[in-house]
Amino acid sequence: MRIAFILFLASTLVSRADENTAGRWEGMVQIPSRELVLIVDLAAGSGDGGNWRGSITIPGLGIKGAPLTDIAVKSDGVVFSIKNALADQRAGPAKFNGHFVGDKKLTGNFEQAGNSAPFSLEKTGTAQVESPPHSTAIAKEIEGEWRGGYELFGNPRKVTIKMQNRGAEGATAEFVIVGRKENKLPVDHVVQEGEFLTIDSHETGLSFEGRARKDEIQGTILQGPLEIPVTLRRTN
Amino acid sequence: MKKSALFLLFVSLTSAAQAQSMFRGNAAHTGVYPGAAPREFHRVKWKFPTGARVVGSAVMQANIIYFGSDDGNVYAVDAKSGRQIWKSATRGPVPCTPAIDHGTVYVGSYDGKFYALDGQTGAVKWKFATEGERRFEAKGLHGWQPKTQTYADAFDVFLSSPAVVDGAVYFGSGDGNVYSLDANSGELRWKFKTGDVVHASPAIVNGVAFFGSWDSYFYAVDVSNGKEKWRYHAGEDPLIHNQVGFQSSPAVVEGVVYTGCRDAQLYALDAATGKEKWKFDNALSWVITSPAVVDGKVYFATSDSSLYHVVEAGSGKPILKKEDKAYMFSSPAVTNDVVFIGVLNGTLEARDRNSGELLWEFQTEKSKQNANWVLTAERKFNVPLLFFDGWREAPLVSADREFAIGAIFSSPLVANGVVYFGSTDGFLYALE
Repeated sequence: MRIAFILFLASTLVSRADENTAGRWEGMVQIPSRELVLIVDLAAGSGDGGNWRGSITIPGLGIKGAPLTDIAVKSDGVVFSIKNALADQRAGPAKFNGHFVGDKKLTGNFEQAGNSAPFSLEKTGTAQVESPPHSTAIAKEIEGEWRGGYELFGNPRKVTIKMQNRGAEGATAEFVIVGRKENKLPVDHVVQEGEFLTIDSHETGLSFEGRARKDEIQGTILQGPLEIPVTLRRTN
Repeated sequence: MKKSALFLLFVSLTSAAQAQSMFRGNAAHTGVYPGAAPREFHRVKWKFPTGARVVGSAVMQANIIYFGSDDGNVYAVDAKSGRQIWKSATRGPVPCTPAIDHGTVYVGSYDGKFYALDGQTGAVKWKFATEGERRFEAKGLHGWQPKTQTYADAFDVFLSSPAVVDGAVYFGSGDGNVYSLDANSGELRWKFKTGDVVHASPAIVNGVAFFGSWDSYFYAVDVSNGKEKWRYHAGEDPLIHNQVGFQSSPAVVEGVVYTGCRDAQLYALDAATGKEKWKFDNALSWVITSPAVVDGKVYFATSDSSLYHVVEAGSGKPILKKEDKAYMFSSPAVTNDVVFIGVLNGTLEARDRNSGELLWEFQTEKSKQNANWVLTAERKFNVPLLFFDGWREAPLVSADREFAIGAIFSSPLVANGVVYFGSTDGFLYALE
């Protein structure tokens, strides 16, 4: 009887925490000499114990709807990280560790690049979690490996792009650029619209845009303002 | 015997005095400072406040420190007490290093004028109007967007520091000229036109002025008539104008010119012919520091890769390399056994000359405050927070925030066991 009561109590606490956590949270983090406005959206996934989904917008840092990761909801608070944006090579992703103050307030600590500052958020409504862009399927003729080359500041670069359909997930791609060293770029978005193909690595800020024609894809490597023409040819 | 001992003493005192009277110590810009230097940090002897950032370096003569500030003033400060002796106003920032010769202080200002000031009082002896000062600029500079917009380079922080030799003063200008003026009267002797901004300081050795321009060329010019002897073409970058131009000032030692370049090379050129002897590639990382050269070794540091290097002067072969935490624009000051260099994260470093190991470091208060989280907890630049937007004015704002944390652009002056340097926090520091 006692155990059943404790289990009941625990499940009540968790669902209270779930109710507390889900929603749109707005507030700010106070870093030295600057207040950063934050909008955080947190929503429970479908099904029992479903994974939490979330996104964050920080207008002062050009971040809109960046996906959250490692969301852990506890009885008295919530912990989450920003997936890519603001990550530091050594310290890893930027993290929030918050505690509920009543039903509508979340306060805690924001850590980024080893620095730490207090944040305070208030619940302002229901969650509006942004979904990451979805990849589309690509034509069968485009699947497979393509290679090309270009020059950057007089230094040669070799590009290899290998694309594959993955059913409902759309297409995926391996995107490798070899200069002084081999760089495997994490691709998070592949889209084909007619002849036009786009492959994005948002984490590195590098993209390929091209037009598929028979045995070659004429396109451009894009990185910030750099637009460098490159022609990819199918490898035998 | 007594006579020769006295002569040696005189030579040594004279060279010691000269070694602190212009940028990089002397007209050859060797970056070597004689006398004792602190291997341990004991205290801040004094710090002198100005109204804006101190980007240029200090020089010293007769125990008076002279330097410029972006508040538009040139200052004379007592080296022992840190008390102001005089200040002399120009009408623009003064981010360069003055030169002192025969009691006159020579210095340029962003107001487009070049000044000769009385070393005792700061009174203007004469001033010379150039065709106007400006920063390097280009369309889509450094990848800033829109790419068809012209941007002034926020990293073009220095003005050309003058060199004074045999009654003539030499300096470069944003108008693309290198000027030679009569040191007494300020009258123009000659001017030499290059294709872009000259903010490097000319080295003057054996009747030749050596300097690089932002037009991608390095020049050797006869100081007697201003005629070109040779020119050397370094790298260009028509794409984003990032990998082009000489911001580093040359050092000339034993017939070889050593200079850094924004094309990421450290060059060694034959001083007589301009022929390349060797170059040291820094993998797209600027070499803004002016190299120090002594005892067959070249000391320099890089910007983005944040590396401190020592290479063989004869061959360019690496001797040692140390990873630093942030970009270095400050030039190394080499003493008997310690090398001092400023870092843009607001730290002054003292390294063992032989091993390159860090002996001690001093962090400015502004750097400790870390406004806007410009730095990571490890004092590296917090890139995702700092450079998140390349559009419109955002890169300029980022650069301003980056520099505002007490960054040290200034090259250290070492004299009588004290290290003097400026910071963007507006102070000139004296450490011992």
